[in-house]
Amino acid sequence: MRILLVEDDLEQLEPLQGILSEAGYIVDAAEDGEIAQWLISQKDYDLLIVDWMLPTINGLSLCRQYRLSGKNAPVLMLTAKDTTADKVMGLDAGADDYLVKPADLVELLARVRALGRRVPNWQGYSLRIADLQFHLAELSVERSQVKVELSPREGQLLEYLMRHPNQVLTRNQIEDALWEYGMEPESNALTVLIRKLRQRLQLLGAGDWIRTVYGMGYRLNPQE
Amino acid sequence: MFNRSRRNLATWFTLTMGSILIMFAAGVYYWEVIDKLEELDRLLYKKTSLMAANVKSEMHNGQRQLNLEYVPFLGSMVQPLLDSQLVYASWYNEQKQLVQFFGTIPSDRLLISGGFDTIKTDSKVWLRQVTLPVYQNGLLIGYLQAAMPMTTTESALAEFRMVLAISAPITLAVIALTGWWLGGLAMQPIRHSYDHLQRFTADASHELRSPLTAIISNAQYGFLSKSTDLEMQRQRFQKIFEIAKSMSILVNNLLFLARYQGKLPTESLQVIDLNNLLVQITDDYATQPDAQHLGLVCKLPNNNITVLGDADLLRQIIINLLNNACKYTPNGGQVKLQLFTQSHWAVIQVIDNGIGIPEADLPYIFERFYRVDKKRSRQTGGFGLGLAIAQQIVQSHGGKITIKSIFKEGTTLQIYLPLK
Repeated sequence: MRILLVEDDLEQLEPLQGILSEAGYIVDAAEDGEIAQWLISQKDYDLLIVDWMLPTINGLSLCRQYRLSGKNAPVLMLTAKDTTADKVMGLDAGADDYLVKPADLVELLARVRALGRRVPNWQGYSLRIADLQFHLAELSVERSQVKVELSPREGQLLEYLMRHPNQVLTRNQIEDALWEYGMEPESNALTVLIRKLRQRLQLLGAGDWIRTVYGMGYRLNPQE
Repeated sequence: MFNRSRRNLATWFTLTMGSILIMFAAGVYYWEVIDKLEELDRLLYKKTSLMAANVKSEMHNGQRQLNLEYVPFLGSMVQPLLDSQLVYASWYNEQKQLVQFFGTIPSDRLLISGGFDTIKTDSKVWLRQVTLPVYQNGLLIGYLQAAMPMTTTESALAEFRMVLAISAPITLAVIALTGWWLGGLAMQPIRHSYDHLQRFTADASHELRSPLTAIISNAQYGFLSKSTDLEMQRQRFQKIFEIAKSMSILVNNLLFLARYQGKLPTESLQVIDLNNLLVQITDDYATQPDAQHLGLVCKLPNNNITVLGDADLLRQIIINLLNNACKYTPNGGQVKLQLFTQSHWAVIQVIDNGIGIPEADLPYIFERFYRVDKKRSRQTGGFGLGLAIAQQIVQSHGGKITIKSIFKEGTTLQIYLPLK
């Protein structure tokens, strides 16, 4: 799941970004409203976490403009404004959830998961292809009662592949989906990641599910 | 909330002023009734005395004889008065027995001995009746009784009641409107200070929550993270420590602002030689890293200037102002600390040729948590409380603080303290 995190205080931004990345999300961070708006125009996000008080464009107008542009990913407003009137204003501006600072990171993660369930192509807590089941919250893959844990990165790759089964995905497409905005992956980073994931799946007897399509990219091809 | 208080104020105002108005109207009406009645009585009295003056009593053969022939209404030798409104008139002899009458048939005996009465007839008309004992040469010769209808008086009073009935509600409405307007006027300063407090609370809660959030998030991230990188952990502790330190400064500042409201108690004041104080401050401050990149000049007068005050507080605000001046003055600039007197004031000036303050920000510059550029001052570690504190300290000394600034050219801060 790709998240846009908008927070102007670096000291708050870093731990948030850290915990979300460790939980397996791809997190793009923006320090002010304008950057956030530009990122939104460049990429499709599955979730937005927005601070209210931001330089240039504040979180409220950012939220309104996002809704006006017709996009419908859930928005979580994370702010120090705590009166009922503030909450009403925030939710009316188009936010789907409202969390008052200082927020518990565990609660934040739970809310992110809860909002994530509303994303149309999300199927509950797990993704399934043939007899392979991927538990998103635990980052574990299961097949015939055998369970394997994945690293956040491997999880992101598997999630992306499972969302586009039987489809040839170019290296560019995968890199675009998996790496944070502005991060240029090293030339062999994806190859290494694919190899690691294959090794994990090997333990479940599904190592050859990820096919390399020469000259084009990769394809997740479950064997019945 | 304000509208409810305003409504309350207007209601009470209307009720009070309305009751006063109604009492006043009732009083005016009462006097009008008395006045009208007196007028009627005077008229009635005039008529009856005119009649009484025409009664002649003569002695005939040792016997007194009464001649009523020339009395208007009663006698036949005189024309009745034209515009008279008398309903009846009767003459009783000195034994109070009826002798002669005009109009309605009166009773045979006079039951009262004199004075004015208000009576109601069978036809529901109110009458004012007078009974006059008539004397001649000091001898009672009889009683004259006459009555007039009160219709004109009544209609005049009815008209007056009508005027009151129309004007009182209109005045009441005007009072209510005035009350509403006055209520609004009275609410204005309250609303203003409420808004001010709201803004302050919002700012303070934001300023306190931001570092709290950063501390909590960093700490929680620390123990939730699966990373075993020790250097990362150390950095996280370092960050938490720094945020907590800056937060403690903020809390101190806020407590300071809360503590020094109003004037300083006289026993805590001491005589301060400002020349000495400023020399000390400049010497100390010149070694600070903030002041290294620019020229710090102190210009003092030849004579010593003394004020009554708290030396520590004054030192703190001058250092505060110097900090600001140095922070916002680029390399090679100059900061000047100057002291002089102006009538009854000792004036301390802090002048810099730094980046200045935009004109739009100047009116708010002494407000708590006001920052010209939030991002910039966050990087330099400011909370926007320095000038608010300076102002409060100067005011607690009975002085004032002013600012002049031209954007991109420099700022002059002036502290006025009353001379000893």
